[in-house]
Amino acid sequence: MENLKRLFDNNRKIVEEVTSADPDFFKRRAGKQEPHFLFIGCADSRVPIETLTGVSPGEMFVHRNIANQVVSADLNLLSVLQYAIEVLDVKHVIVCGHYQCGGVKAAMGTESYGLVDYWLAGVRDTVRRHASELEASPGEDERFKRVVDLNVLRQVYNLARTPVVQNAWKRGRRPLLHGLVYDIHDGFLKSIALEVDGPDKVRELFEARRRSIGD
Amino acid sequence: MSWIDGVVRRLTQAPRPAERDVVAAVRRLPEMAASWRNDLPASIVVFLVALPLCLGIALASGAPLFAGVIAGVVGGVLVGSLSGSHLMVSGPAAGLTAIVVAAIASLGSFQAFLAAVVIGGAVQLVLAVMRAGVLGYYFPSSVIKGMLAAIGLILVLKQIPHAVGYDVDFEGDETFLQANAENTFTAVLHALQRLEPGAVLISLVGLALLFVWDKTPLKNVRLLPAQLTVVLLGVALDIACAAAQPAWKLDASHLVTLPIPAQLADYADYFAFPDWSALSRGDTWRVGVTLGVVASLESLLSLEATDRLDPYKREAPANRELFAQGAGNIVSGLIGGLPVTGVIVRSAANVDAGARTKLSAILHGLLLAAAVVSIPALLNHIPLASLAAILIFTGFKLAHPKIWSSMWRQGSSQFLPFALTIVAILLTDLLVGIGIGLALGLLFILFEHSRQPCYEIVSPKGAVLTRVRLNEQVSFLSKATLAKLFERLEPGSRIELDGSQCRHVHHDVLELISDFRETALLRKIDLRLVGLDLPGATHH
Ligand SMILES: [Zn+2]
Repeated sequence: MENLKRLFDNNRKIVEEVTSADPDFFKRRAGKQEPHFLFIGCADSRVPIETLTGVSPGEMFVHRNIANQVVSADLNLLSVLQYAIEVLDVKHVIVCGHYQCGGVKAAMGTESYGLVDYWLAGVRDTVRRHASELEASPGEDERFKRVVDLNVLRQVYNLARTPVVQNAWKRGRRPLLHGLVYDIHDGFLKSIALEVDGPDKVRELFEARRRSIGD
Repeated sequence: MSWIDGVVRRLTQAPRPAERDVVAAVRRLPEMAASWRNDLPASIVVFLVALPLCLGIALASGAPLFAGVIAGVVGGVLVGSLSGSHLMVSGPAAGLTAIVVAAIASLGSFQAFLAAVVIGGAVQLVLAVMRAGVLGYYFPSSVIKGMLAAIGLILVLKQIPHAVGYDVDFEGDETFLQANAENTFTAVLHALQRLEPGAVLISLVGLALLFVWDKTPLKNVRLLPAQLTVVLLGVALDIACAAAQPAWKLDASHLVTLPIPAQLADYADYFAFPDWSALSRGDTWRVGVTLGVVASLESLLSLEATDRLDPYKREAPANRELFAQGAGNIVSGLIGGLPVTGVIVRSAANVDAGARTKLSAILHGLLLAAAVVSIPALLNHIPLASLAAILIFTGFKLAHPKIWSSMWRQGSSQFLPFALTIVAILLTDLLVGIGIGLALGLLFILFEHSRQPCYEIVSPKGAVLTRVRLNEQVSFLSKATLAKLFERLEPGSRIELDGSQCRHVHHDVLELISDFRETALLRKIDLRLVGLDLPGATHH
């Protein structure tokens, strides 16, 4: 109970602070939202993306799931994606992973966690595909980080293949897809893939990756 | 847009080669022969109706009476043979009387006028070669129907005086303001105050007969159409009156009045020939071109109208009609006849009398020629009241109430041009009225088109990005709706204009979009163009 009370207290304090500086702050945002970003990130509690990037309410449309997966059968994600692109007209779609991701870690191991094992099949697949490259990496930490990076890249690719994004690209060079990783150790965002704005860019990205793993 | 479909259908049909026409005509011979049972009686009716019309129009035109008959014969025999229409009758037209009167006065003599008629015919041949007949396909259906209904009403109103024996105005008049300082309505009022009992009796009996005919077994007697019976009965009644009630006997002014020459050779005097010296004057050419253009227009209108009356829904080729009319006018002009056009009243009477093929129109011409020479004295017994009954019946069918209710059911876009055409024709004359009707009809079509949305908003309401998908065809008429859409956009709004489905976008619309692209920047509107090829367009 103590913790929950803290939420309400803080909420009151923050509202007071904000409205004293800008009395119409919340009223203005009650109208229609025109966010510039769709953020697809991990459900992990250590990734407070709004705070980290300093965006205000109304600027970022957010979807989060374990290990920031883009699964083509996920009605939840697809709805968010379609609404964001076709109705809210967001310009940037960001897939953001993070180091020390519990989901990725689980997918790398052999232990069973229940339902989430099914959810993480995609990550496990990534690990399997890149097994030879990962084996060659110097240490456990490096390998873990590498899988997080590869997972983000894979999800950017999945995103690019969704009909919603494909259709949007056919109509112009929007939206731009970005793959980022949040380094939980120092708080910085690191870019994996930037400004993917069409099939050409996707191909380019994956040719480069294929060369790197000697595929 | 059924009339547009008609245009497209007919424009895409290749004109038939002449030799195939001949083959088809030969193949149709048995069918033609079988149709004489319908066409011969019909031709007699048309001939009887046409006779006073030819004389009346000649009288009104200030031309020799026989010029009207010559035009009737040429219109029936020559134009009838050459025309592609099955049921249209051609002959001297009431619609041209005003032009003819003025032309004879300005050219100085009837012979000089005849030279202009020949020129008019030549102009029609040129129009036929230029395939100007397509013009006829652009007459909106509602306007043609309005014209038919108006002619029906005019027929009824103009014939009421003749039916009651008030034969002051010439037969076949179609203008509102008559030459005798009366108008259509005052003439009816005056006529009702001066009833000629014999005429009233004949027309009432005639009308009664016409209206009940189809409900009796008499309708099966093909060789004796109702209209012919009415004429015979009229003559009989008049003769009976002479015996029983001499005061009711109609005098010559209420009967058909054909000139009767003393001897056969005098007929030669009735033929006039063109004065070719008139060709050196610009006036003659001006009149000729006017005649050619106006007569073509009237013929095309009549053709369109007759196609609509045809119970078999046959469609006649327009350019071939111009050719036939041109040939008719050249010949009519050469032998002293009035100019000819397709005429709706006689065509409608032809349809009503049960004609099936063009044989009827041709025979009516032959009958005119033969009867005028052989039995003029006999024809002069026909009461105008009998013919009035026939024409009132035809007029009633043309302006039948069920036509009004069917037009009403088709909505205001059809009914308004229809009704306005009727009012315009009733208050002016056929050509001026149809001109007004056409202008209004085309305005309605423009209006209707410009209200058709040329785009669809595919994004949901309240979406940040308004996605507008342009339709397959974006015509010039869509410009206004699109411009309105652009004007409504608020600063800061985002719009996507998707032309990827378009097959054709009118140049002016592209220009509008191109201009909007410039102003969008200033208005802080985020415009995205998809699949549109604008001059100098850049994708962004
Ligand atoms: Zn995570």
